Amino acid sequence: MAPRAAIVGGGLSGFVAYLTLRRVGVEDVTVFATEADPAANFRARAAAIRQTHMRSESDGHCLPTSFPGLAVREAVERRSVRPLADSALDRYHPTVDRFLAHVDELRMRSGWAPVPRRVDRIVPVDGGFEVAGDVYEHVLLATGHPGLCVPDELRDDPRVVHAYEPHEYADSVCVVGAGLAAATEWRNARAAGARVTSVRRREPVHRPLNVPRPFLSKRGLARFHRLDRGARAAALHELLAPSFPREWESGVPVERRVNGADQVICATGFLRGWQHDPLLAQLDVPSVNGWIELDRDATVPSLTDSTRTLALGGVAAQWAYPAADTLMGARYVAHAFARRCRTR
Amino acid sequence: MSYTLRGRLESRLAALALPVLVAAALHQWWLIELAGVMAGVALVLDLVYHRPIAYQPGWAAVPLGLLELGCIYVAVRLLDIHAPLRWSLLFYLGAWVWAQVLGHAILPLARLSYAEDGGELGAATVAVAAAALVLPFAAAGGIYEHNLPPVVHLASGVHQGPLYVKRRIRLVGEPGAVVRGGIVVLHRGVTVSHVRVEGGEYGISVLGVKNVTLDHVTVVGAKLDGIHVRHASVHVHHCLVDERGMPWGQGIDVSYGLIQGDSMISHCTVLGGRDGIVVHGSMGMIEHNQVSATKMTGISLTEMSMGSVAHNDVADALGVGILCGDHSMCDIDHNTVVGTRPDGTADEMRSGVGLEIQFGAEAELGRHNDLVANPRHLGVFLDSWVRWH
Repeated sequence: MAPRAAIVGGGLSGFVAYLTLRRVGVEDVTVFATEADPAANFRARAAAIRQTHMRSESDGHCLPTSFPGLAVREAVERRSVRPLADSALDRYHPTVDRFLAHVDELRMRSGWAPVPRRVDRIVPVDGGFEVAGDVYEHVLLATGHPGLCVPDELRDDPRVVHAYEPHEYADSVCVVGAGLAAATEWRNARAAGARVTSVRRREPVHRPLNVPRPFLSKRGLARFHRLDRGARAAALHELLAPSFPREWESGVPVERRVNGADQVICATGFLRGWQHDPLLAQLDVPSVNGWIELDRDATVPSLTDSTRTLALGGVAAQWAYPAADTLMGARYVAHAFARRCRTR
Repeated sequence: MSYTLRGRLESRLAALALPVLVAAALHQWWLIELAGVMAGVALVLDLVYHRPIAYQPGWAAVPLGLLELGCIYVAVRLLDIHAPLRWSLLFYLGAWVWAQVLGHAILPLARLSYAEDGGELGAATVAVAAAALVLPFAAAGGIYEHNLPPVVHLASGVHQGPLYVKRRIRLVGEPGAVVRGGIVVLHRGVTVSHVRVEGGEYGISVLGVKNVTLDHVTVVGAKLDGIHVRHASVHVHHCLVDERGMPWGQGIDVSYGLIQGDSMISHCTVLGGRDGIVVHGSMGMIEHNQVSATKMTGISLTEMSMGSVAHNDVADALGVGILCGDHSMCDIDHNTVVGTRPDGTADEMRSGVGLEIQFGAEAELGRHNDLVANPRHLGVFLDSWVRWH
């Protein structure tokens, strides 16, 4: 009998895993999601920060293989080699609209039809896991970011809005944070005529992608995986420092504390740590500094054996793949999960 | 792509498999040699690239491809592979384009985790690629071995000649093998090696055929030419020709082989005779030879010959050391000519000239010819000219 696989979470990470399982011939896949559109969260957040272009490059897409990427598709569509040349120069960044259209197209084509149900509990049983009253041998939890992060000291400030919530710009804006969302807000607020200041705890790193490129493949990962627990946690802290591409730098003045601006935009990302995710919180598994300890294939060692798999996807898989909350990370986890579904 | 070392090598093996198969399928020896050089250079460079190139963007394929092309060109020159430049460039370009298509499209499409595995392909794919790479070379080696002419061993002892060679063979003398009365080669592709020839009108004759090799042969006391080549092309290596005491003898005479291709005479020792090494109406390279005690010229290219004379030692020649004559075109450098003697006549052209260019000949003279103790180091006569380089 073919193994049964379940994906809990219908965001982009779950969607990539679903497409990958279909590609390798795993037919019995159930997806649990509260939202039918896998790009719903991304769409809302990108709209909130008025993001026009993806940070990812040609292979920032949802297909199981890195080729053909969005540059190839755009080149064919526009009958131009320009996207390919840009891709060769690492300067190709598809528009958000193009990416969302790509997701929509795949969704229509793939027969994506998640079960509209919130899963509150995963129960390990012999040879699998009980999910929503059924037993599955292989389960991938891709529940996404557990919520928006607003610093405690600003929680009750009426001027505060999170970057990923819909907002306009006041005359003076203080942007808290130093990652991609902050850089986008600096530019957009300035473009709207606001006086902008930046408040941040850490200086941002300028780099094109979320992590240095070697850490997207086995070359850097092999080194990363060899680190012991403490060193790996420290490395993750370093790798996940706020960053954005150098060309997004707009040189806003930096202040040490939130000033008397009319509006405070918290570009502070998401709550970090498995404790904030109710589904992960009920798993009794070892963790380090908020990261659940995983094998290199993003499986939970204590709940995975030759008969069953419990894997994590999305941001929760950073212990296995530092850029797990990116599309490349989604593919990495999906490939590893597919291998287990296919060979067990 | 951030390649692992294994990934870089495996991807390279996969990319090389097709050009190697194409080379094998086209049955061109130079192409197989070129493919072999491409494979060797590529794999060595991959080892060099690995550490400094942690991430290789797409555009880097162009400069790295040009660097590899340069290395391959140098290797082809050093290995003396006779590959036609235009076709070789086309072959390399085709292989390069194929490698890009394979690495950027086919492999990522065929193998889910190609990118995140740093270019690694898995055992099965590597085995197929390695087989595709190794089998053509093995087959080519087998074909080469199969096509080698059969070996005929000439037993130790004296064999009465003349010995006629009318089939493509490798005639290999065992220690102490001697032929009296000469050897006559009448078939292309013959190799004669480790044989001593004594007496006869000609020592070893090569008549009207191409690609004959004379290797480690010794010729003593032939009445006319020690090695006599007519309308033929030869490669003569490591020979000894002794014509001392033979009034009409010559060392090595290659004549009228212009349409048969290049001849080469290297690492030979010629003692005595009228001309030591002489090329008439042929194309020849005369290098690393030692010629001494000749009565006409030490080394000469004449009668519209073309070729080079380099790294030779000519000593104690009577009349002329090295001659480029009669509308020949010669490249002469890095030779040593010592102690040329005048022949005692009033002929200025035989007055003990180290290097002589005469009768409409054209010579490119390098500045590294060592001319010592010659009554006249350089003589240019009768509408000839010299260009120094």
